Amino acid sequence: MPAITVRVNGLEVTKEVGARTLLSTFIREQLKLTGTHVGCDTSQCGACVVTLDGKTVKSCAVFAWEADGADIGTIEGLADGDNMHPMQEAFREHHGLQCGFCTPGMVMTAVSLVENNPDIDEDGIRHGLEGNICRCTGYQNIIDAVKTGAKAMRG
Amino acid sequence: MATYVARNGIGENQRRVEDFRFLTGHGHYIDDMKLENQAYGMVLRSPEAHADIKSIDATEALALDGVLLVVTGEDWKAAGYGTIPTKSGVRKFKDGSDLKEPPHHAIAIDRVRYVGQPVALVVAESLDACRDAMELIEVDYESLPAVSHQSEAIKDGAPQIWDDIPNNICLDFELGDEDAQKKAFEDADHVITLELINNRVTATPIEPRGALADYDAESGKFTLWNASQNIHANRDTIADTVLKIGKENLHHIAPDVGGGFGGKNGVYPEPILILHAAREIKRPVKWVNDRSESFLSDTHGRDQVSTVQLALDNDGTFRGLRTETVGNLGAFCGTVGPFTPTGGSSRTQGGPFRFDGIYYTAIAPFTNTCPLDPYRGAGRPEGSYQMDRIIDYAAAKLGMDPIELRRKNLIPPSDLPMKSPMGLDIDCGNFPEVFEKTIEISDRAGFEKRKEASEAKGLKRGFGVCMYLECTGGGPKEEAKVTFRDDGKVELSVGTASTGMGHETVFAQLLSGHLGIAMEDVVFRQSDTDATDIGGGHGGSRGLEVGGSAVTQTSRQIIEVGKKIAAHRFDVDAGEIEFEEGRFHVPGTNHTMTIRDAIDSQNDPDSLPDDLEPGCMNISSVFERGIISIPNGGHACEVEVDPETGTVKVDGYWVVDDFGTIVNKMLADGQVMGGIAQGLGQALMENIHYDESGQLVTGSLMDYALPRADDMPRMVIDYYEDAPTEKNLLGVKGAGEAGCVGAPPAIVNAVCDALKEYGVHHIDMPLTPEKVWQAIRDAKAAG
Amino acid sequence: MYDFGIKNPTSVDDVKTALGESDDGQFLAGGQTLIPVLKQRLAMPSDLISLARVDGLSGISAGGDSISVKAMTCHAEVAANADIKSAIPALAKLAGGIGDPHVRNRGTIGGSVANNDPAADYPAAVLGLGATVVTSEREIEADNFFTGMFDTALNEGELITEISFPIPEAAGYIKFPNPATRYALVAVMVAKFGNTVRVAVTGAGPCVFRVAEMEQALTASFSPDSIKDGMVPADDLNNDIHASREYRAHLIGVLARRAVAEANG
Repeated sequence: MPAITVRVNGLEVTKEVGARTLLSTFIREQLKLTGTHVGCDTSQCGACVVTLDGKTVKSCAVFAWEADGADIGTIEGLADGDNMHPMQEAFREHHGLQCGFCTPGMVMTAVSLVENNPDIDEDGIRHGLEGNICRCTGYQNIIDAVKTGAKAMRG
Repeated sequence: MATYVARNGIGENQRRVEDFRFLTGHGHYIDDMKLENQAYGMVLRSPEAHADIKSIDATEALALDGVLLVVTGEDWKAAGYGTIPTKSGVRKFKDGSDLKEPPHHAIAIDRVRYVGQPVALVVAESLDACRDAMELIEVDYESLPAVSHQSEAIKDGAPQIWDDIPNNICLDFELGDEDAQKKAFEDADHVITLELINNRVTATPIEPRGALADYDAESGKFTLWNASQNIHANRDTIADTVLKIGKENLHHIAPDVGGGFGGKNGVYPEPILILHAAREIKRPVKWVNDRSESFLSDTHGRDQVSTVQLALDNDGTFRGLRTETVGNLGAFCGTVGPFTPTGGSSRTQGGPFRFDGIYYTAIAPFTNTCPLDPYRGAGRPEGSYQMDRIIDYAAAKLGMDPIELRRKNLIPPSDLPMKSPMGLDIDCGNFPEVFEKTIEISDRAGFEKRKEASEAKGLKRGFGVCMYLECTGGGPKEEAKVTFRDDGKVELSVGTASTGMGHETVFAQLLSGHLGIAMEDVVFRQSDTDATDIGGGHGGSRGLEVGGSAVTQTSRQIIEVGKKIAAHRFDVDAGEIEFEEGRFHVPGTNHTMTIRDAIDSQNDPDSLPDDLEPGCMNISSVFERGIISIPNGGHACEVEVDPETGTVKVDGYWVVDDFGTIVNKMLADGQVMGGIAQGLGQALMENIHYDESGQLVTGSLMDYALPRADDMPRMVIDYYEDAPTEKNLLGVKGAGEAGCVGAPPAIVNAVCDALKEYGVHHIDMPLTPEKVWQAIRDAKAAG
Repeated sequence: MYDFGIKNPTSVDDVKTALGESDDGQFLAGGQTLIPVLKQRLAMPSDLISLARVDGLSGISAGGDSISVKAMTCHAEVAANADIKSAIPALAKLAGGIGDPHVRNRGTIGGSVANNDPAADYPAAVLGLGATVVTSEREIEADNFFTGMFDTALNEGELITEISFPIPEAAGYIKFPNPATRYALVAVMVAKFGNTVRVAVTGAGPCVFRVAEMEQALTASFSPDSIKDGMVPADDLNNDIHASREYRAHLIGVLARRAVAEANG
């Protein structure tokens, strides 16, 4: 069983993982960071999105051992204690979530979209979210949240 | 900073209190739970649509390292467990005989009847061990002929799914006045007929179903954490009817539930199987579905084939309506499955329009497919689709304007209150005003210009409208219990089940608004059989109507008790006390007591009048609504169709809903927009497809398309708020399902409007690009 | 999924050794197709040989008349690469339309081309642009590379190291995505090199293919009007729940016209 060392939300951890341990399983079961959700088995839904060396990935389609040496960012690392990240605040302000299950992947994706393109427009946001399925909101409030979040992130 | 809500909590767009938890990754869903010594369960599902089980050999599986238990139908027989009953509200054939309810065991006994039916439960130390073990279980099936389509299932000679149920018919049904309908048809100038398919879809909450069962051998008590929307009723069924352990021995709880839409309402086999397993191995057992299993085993929705006939005069006056439906039930009766194509689809026939006579009839057969049960709307989307499609179809056939046809036939407010031909008590509303407002906000006047712009791009633009009538309320009773805790927090327990709708916020908002206590002090509990004695859970857009009314009723009772405490302190008559914004006071004096003072006094006998006991402000009350309420509304939509590829893009969407009083507009908007997305999905892309042999062809998110952000238009949501209902304490009408009631007909109408120049007047859902292209091609070929 | 061993070679030579040491080894590139396949227990390799740490397999370099993309370069990099965007914008567009942003951050050109999924985008680029597939053993012309459904000219153990795309005079790529998977239901790449025109179709058949009749017509006149309906007969096309063969045949014509229009700017 290989041991891997990763930095998760800034903290370094070393753990043994099985060959077939997915990154999502590693994060949820071994690190007990259950904010990363699994909503499908064919890598379509995007609920499990985390960042790997700054890029969004579906953690259900990456093996934990592939992440050895990498920086991993999960939803738990966004807020600073009780102070939510501006994107999280924007989701709350715009009612960009209902059941909350797709939300962690959605927020991680939204932050990354804006980091890569601070002036992203509505079309860009809609296309940028094509790897994240929400069944509750109809997306409009998510789009509005990302716009507001982007503005706040631009400062 | 404490948040105090004014105006009894009504009209405040409170931001949600649950959001911090969800946004920071601290939601608590079923798969986030892990108990000490927990084992894992996985279900071996039938690959056969219809087959006899000759034998099951689990010897090798049981020998595998880490495998703890394999449960099969033989164990079920030996245990003598009961079957899962249907609670369908319609239970009699037209001729008065009883509905045919086949035995629905939690696990297949001797025969399987749909692909995905549980055949064995494997329990092991890990999920990988479960998967390995499942491959080693040898099941010897002997295939039988299968039937998956309802219209085939009722034919003579069709495969028999149950030996004693001829033509596979579970139930037939009628509602309305057939004589009046027939007379209206005879008198009318035209009778227009349209065959409609309401496609089979599935709720697909992003959180798959799952549960965790624990058994305490010493006390004989079970605990079941379950991603379910109906905790109390399902507890009774599981404990009393199926496992026969007594409901007092099952503590049933739902943690945070990641969406439901009806798909998590019913009693499912898997939680029952793991309860059995937990007792067998004396360890907690957790099971969570894969998404692919969800497609096979989550109850499906819709799947109705209907013939709709509209009789109308040359001047456009509607005279009669007749609908004949065959609604697929799947292989078993769902928890309320037989109700959907019968009672559920019948009540709103005719919509908000005037008719001389309406008649609805349905047949509900079994097929070799996964059972059907309510999906968001459960019958009303089907009714609305039939009504609003036949109007546009008739308009196209007779060269009339579909908007004018609706205008001409809407029930005027002067007719209200009235009893509809289908027996609905329509108490209030203003359908013409709602309709006109819908047309107005959709900028109908600017349509031609937008159409020209589309034409310039080689695209066809269409406008579609729907004017729906709903009926909401679900389970009629609900409990709201308030306990003022010593730590200053106020525990509010309600028997409803929020799976994303925001009850945690809106109920706290109501309590805060009524009592003048801080939102932040409210601790919300729901979906827990220990928290409330009764609970109607989720379904029928009932949360605010029934649950919100219960919170309001309990709040009022608390205030009355508080007045007595204040009266005792100020030595006046309780009738002299007024309560406003959290303060009791005696008008004309400076006698004032805050609600907090009253709460603090409630445990001190000296502070209480003789007729009150300590703890008297901790009140639980059960609200029982009257008859169901009647939301209604207009949907308008514009589409652009690429005639070369058949691609449909919804380019604008406008809604005006009459939900009575709007308590929290932000949450109401969210419900409507989410409903529209599901309606758009059904109209344009979603389809559960079984082949003729009963194999599910669309069994994963690779084959079943869900709407994504770039499939959705920008939506404008508005309300008509001048018709609060008196059927509940808040004046509200249910908002949860309306979006997907109105969207499918509005979208299909818009596409048909775009294609009318080709002579295309109907396409069955989902309107995939290929179907649209094919319809244009066929119309061109027909000249 | 079934259990397997892991190998993490760091050079192309090590890759060969690692494969030799495995009973039934399988290369793992970005894993965006392979991992879901393994999860469904549809494959049972003895070992996964990860290419992620192999030196020199990532990056994009532009030459005078071609652009070379190393095998482990992810789709997002190709989509964002300035040289590709200016020299072969259709290639950048194609890469930017694969799957979704998360897939594009992991999935690689080498993995996609080696897998040769009938509905994948990259095979249309490789064949349509007449690229050269460079492997650990040789160089393979695109026309000789794609041999059938999920089948290529690669030998057992042969590793794609880079793909070299000649820069066309003009090219266009139009994809009609499957709404569920975002794979190509049908997609067409059209590229013009002087007097030569190449048309490659993916998603429609069991394997990416060229359309000689369209190429001839476009060589005569590089205009959307040159594409006529029926240039690709429906008979041999895919017929499944997502689309009938007739619809696919029709789409090929529509998309080819649009691809030519795009190429013409």
